[in-house]
Amino acid sequence: MTQPVSIIMIEDDEGHARLIERNIRRSGVNNEIISFANGTDAMKHLFGPDGSGLVQKGNALLILLDLNLPDMTGIDILKQIKENKYLKASPVVVLTTTDDSQEIKRCYELGCNVYITKPVNYENFANAIRQLGLFFSVIQVPPAAP
Amino acid sequence: MTADAQRRRAFWQILLFTAGLLVLTVISAGSVYLVNKARDDSKWVVHTIEAENQINALLLEIRRAESAARGYLLTQGEDFKADHDKAVAAVIPALDKLTRLIGDNPAQRENIEKLSASIETRLGQFVREMDFIRRGEREKAAALVREIASTDATAAIAKVATGMIQEEERLFRLRTVNSDRSQTLAASMTGIGSGLVVLLALISIWLVRHSVRARDDAEARLRDANVNLEAVVDERTADLREANNEIQRFAYIVSHDLRSPLVNIMGFTSELEELGGDIFRRIGGLTHVPADGPPPSTGEIALEGPDKQLSADFAEALGFIKSSIAKMDRLISAILNLTREGRREFQPEKIDTRELIEAIVSTLAHQAAEAQAEIHVAPLPNLVSDRLALEQIFSNLIDNGIKYLKPGVPGEIRIRGRTKLGYAIFEISDNGRGIDPKDHQRIFDLFRRAGTQDKPGQGIGLAHVRALVRRLGGTMSVSSELNTGSTFTITLPITWNASNRNADQ
Repeated sequence: MTQPVSIIMIEDDEGHARLIERNIRRSGVNNEIISFANGTDAMKHLFGPDGSGLVQKGNALLILLDLNLPDMTGIDILKQIKENKYLKASPVVVLTTTDDSQEIKRCYELGCNVYITKPVNYENFANAIRQLGLFFSVIQVPPAAP
Repeated sequence: MTADAQRRRAFWQILLFTAGLLVLTVISAGSVYLVNKARDDSKWVVHTIEAENQINALLLEIRRAESAARGYLLTQGEDFKADHDKAVAAVIPALDKLTRLIGDNPAQRENIEKLSASIETRLGQFVREMDFIRRGEREKAAALVREIASTDATAAIAKVATGMIQEEERLFRLRTVNSDRSQTLAASMTGIGSGLVVLLALISIWLVRHSVRARDDAEARLRDANVNLEAVVDERTADLREANNEIQRFAYIVSHDLRSPLVNIMGFTSELEELGGDIFRRIGGLTHVPADGPPPSTGEIALEGPDKQLSADFAEALGFIKSSIAKMDRLISAILNLTREGRREFQPEKIDTRELIEAIVSTLAHQAAEAQAEIHVAPLPNLVSDRLALEQIFSNLIDNGIKYLKPGVPGEIRIRGRTKLGYAIFEISDNGRGIDPKDHQRIFDLFRRAGTQDKPGQGIGLAHVRALVRRLGGTMSVSSELNTGSTFTITLPITWNASNRNADQ
């Protein structure tokens, strides 16, 4: 791994963000986590001011995405990421409260790599995030297309 | 048209009909009477003419007898004598006939008596005259004839006869007038009656046409109303559908959004629990710190006195919070599942109902054996419906049957079915603890349960079952008493029509 992978977390609920971060750290993943509380800021960061995604060229990213955002739906963000030539190779983990099968199917169709439902049961939640952390530590993330 | 107006019209029609009938009856009776009267009058006219004729005939016979007698006197011809005898012979019957004819008229009867007397006198004179001639005493006979001509008898006969004829002529005029009047009366009566009947008929026709037009108008209005009604029903159905969809969306969004903060509450409660553990461990470590070394960093340290109490209270509070969160989560999940079921599209297919229920029974065999329950499945009608929905309906009901048996009594659950008018009726009955009639409505409400709360459950099953049955176009009901078991009856269309409910999803 020549370049450290940054984790982009798009999550409007601060509490969820804190819990996710804490549990990722507990699983021993120490990568940089950049969190955004709304879709607009996240889009600006991912696609740059010109919206082309060129700013992320050569960066290795892993995106954690909540579907219910105040300003746009996570589905839209997912769609744009997977349509952008610089970002489409970055793995996207959808982490949300929705467990509707239609929604899940739609996310996978749009190119999401992992779909995780946030369980209310904290044991399960913590477990899921820690396993995700383990998954992060072994996954080979390609750098965004040069 | 109001009912009052209708009654009024019917009343008028009956009145008209009655009036027509009455007029016809009066005309008929009047006509019969008048025609009879006219006939009588005519008869009297004819009678008068006959009487007059008879008088003339009588006079003629007498004249004939007279002239024959004169002829005989002049010629002594036997022909004249025979003629005379014949005429004389005819006089008496003619007189009798005349008497009979005018027997009804007292004035004429008096006249006829006079006439008879005169005729008898005259006939006597004829006899004497003929005697003289037969004996050849012609002078005497001629003298007698002269004498007779000058006497009253002939004149009297002529006078009486003329009077009688005048009388009969008077009667003739009178009776003719009478007869004419009767006939005119009869004709005018018939004419007026016919006119009245025609008038009544015209009024009736007008009334009938009027009511026919009113009926046509009413029919047209009814048709319009029907068309409107259909439109209104469609509109309402669309509104209801829209409202239902909105409720579904609302329930979905609310329950979904409620979950997000719940994740935080649960997450940080767990974090708090861990923190609490750490804190009390520190406290314990501090209180048990040995004077000559570092505090033990690992292993459980028993707390003492008030510290132990604090720790227990802390754990208790957290326990309540966590169990409440867990319960809230179950409720939210239940609502989510229900709304999801409401959104699922049904796939109708041919279903061997008995096979489907046998499969459910075999998955529940373990619970049934534990509860010492036996499940009997009678032959059941097959359906075309949604398999998953039916599975959920029957497994919920059979599961309930097993779950709520009377403790200590071997359970018996029976599933029966029959068909009626395009619907299949299923009965799931048990010999369990039963449901108080006042709770029959409540058990179908979401999150509501009834009876002793000694079994785990959320109060979702029956609400879910009823929602499914309704979506399948059926109905369900329960009949039960406490301690006597329950029977759930489900009525489902034998062939579920996809167009009726799926369209609104």
